Amino acid sequence: MSADTAAAQATVDRTAPGVATGAWRAFLLQMALYKHVWHGTVFTSVLLPILYMISVGIGVGSYIDPASTGGLDYAAFIAPGLVCSVAVMMLGNDMVFPVFGGYQDWGGHYLAQRATPLGPLDILNGHLAYAVIFRPFTNCTIVAIVLAFFGVYTSWWAALAIVAAALVSAALAPWLHFWASSIKNDANLNMIFRFAVMPISLFSGVFFPAETMPGFLQPLVWISPLWHGTELARAATADVAPALPPVAHIAYLAALAVAGWFAARRVVQRRLNF
Amino acid sequence: MPDDNEMLVRASDLRKSYGDHEAVRGVDFEIRRGEAFGFLGANGAGKSTTMRMIGCVSQPTAGTLEVFGRDPLTEGAAIRARLGVVPQDNTLDGMLTVFENLVVYARYFGIKKRDARVKAAELLDFVQLTARAKDQVNELSGGMQRRLAIARSLINDPDLVILDEPTTGLDPQARHLVWERLFQLKHRGVSILLTTHYMDEAEQLCDRLVVMDEGRIIAAGSPRELIDTHVTKEVVELRFGAAHTAELAELALTLTGVGAQIEPLPDKILVYTDDADDTGAALEAREITPTSTLARRATLEDVFLRLTGRALVEDEA
Repeated sequence: MSADTAAAQATVDRTAPGVATGAWRAFLLQMALYKHVWHGTVFTSVLLPILYMISVGIGVGSYIDPASTGGLDYAAFIAPGLVCSVAVMMLGNDMVFPVFGGYQDWGGHYLAQRATPLGPLDILNGHLAYAVIFRPFTNCTIVAIVLAFFGVYTSWWAALAIVAAALVSAALAPWLHFWASSIKNDANLNMIFRFAVMPISLFSGVFFPAETMPGFLQPLVWISPLWHGTELARAATADVAPALPPVAHIAYLAALAVAGWFAARRVVQRRLNF
Repeated sequence: MPDDNEMLVRASDLRKSYGDHEAVRGVDFEIRRGEAFGFLGANGAGKSTTMRMIGCVSQPTAGTLEVFGRDPLTEGAAIRARLGVVPQDNTLDGMLTVFENLVVYARYFGIKKRDARVKAAELLDFVQLTARAKDQVNELSGGMQRRLAIARSLINDPDLVILDEPTTGLDPQARHLVWERLFQLKHRGVSILLTTHYMDEAEQLCDRLVVMDEGRIIAAGSPRELIDTHVTKEVVELRFGAAHTAELAELALTLTGVGAQIEPLPDKILVYTDDADDTGAALEAREITPTSTLARRATLEDVFLRLTGRALVEDEA
């Protein structure tokens, strides 16, 4: 190239990026995109929790006997689950259409990244880092702060609810990535909302104790990552004992995350090696 | 100083299969630093598949391939760090602005943000899109998007720029603007590898090219060499009103001897000849009066037609 481009030339990395570097570079695309949509997330992170707390937490809560929620004020009962629910809701935005579109001829960002030193794994890890680390630790933190104004926490340990939300994201995000990477027809994309995101949100003990559900639905509760996350988050915000020892909840979410990552890796490598 | 004789790409008996379908059936070629090298062929000839293997996103099924002297199988990322790629579909991010598309892409190559912004501004200037820097990509015309994709491919000062069908789908004016930028690149000494099914594009841009058909290379050389080797200097196109394939084939039989070879097409007859005037005189002598006659110099299109036509005849035999 001409001499006037020599300055930039010196800074090009001509080697294969390591795992962390590759993921970081791929992640930067999501950050560039986030700059264009961050104002939309204000609704999810600020207004939505306020509306829920006023209408459900306080409104519906005034009809609910605290004895049925383990002695907790109803608003305090639903608050930790809301933090985790927002994480699930965000995944519905971040890990379905943006993943599916990544492979498409019309502006597929994964295809663009693939032509650079980034490999399929960097591309997967970069997108997951955004969904599993950046989004929960920013947006769920905002949710948690907003909820604090409703006086629903017993101590600063409540901050761990954000970690619980991130764990829920980690357990679900790779599976959504796997799904959105696997399907070829966008008409099937909405199935994930009907058969996964929606039931997970409803049957995970966010708005009522999961043990009050009929016995035949209990297995659905146990497999739901949101239930495990909500149990952990409630232990953090309301200092109540979770259904299982915390380590068991964490182990389940971690196992789901690892298995999902391997499943997603397999399909991403297949889609991005031609 | 880079060595002008340095081989950037070397392929030997390169093959790629998808299941039972063999898309590339053993091709050999070499691309040298500083040249503009083309893959010419119809859709489905195996051009894009070969490009993907060179671009290290597709693993060869058999044969050997070296890019910058390295093995794509084990050093794909390091090779891609030195390539610039303009995919047929652009793969620009429609949600981002023109400027952001370049900066984000630069970051994939480990270019620092500040340098990326300087480089992006410089490249937008090169492709004449500075005024559109803040616009979203979706607002750009097809030609502008292609120019942006070309700018993006240069962000890492590549040793080789790969363009897959760079002007397919563009209107004539936009095509010429893209060609003009590619000429500029050539002038700067950037090595270019392109696929095209436009013969005029190959003729204008490529120093050397290979003609691909059904996964094989059927001819190689400079555009001039290919024309000199495979067709006559001139071509006379004869049209006979609304006459179609069968009638033209019959008419062609009456033309034997007026040129070196007669090629009936669905809408016209081509007479390959070294002297169009002699052919005109011969036609007059036989009292053959086409509704229109056009004498022109032979092009790569004629080479392609003759080569693929002959291949088909051989297959049938």
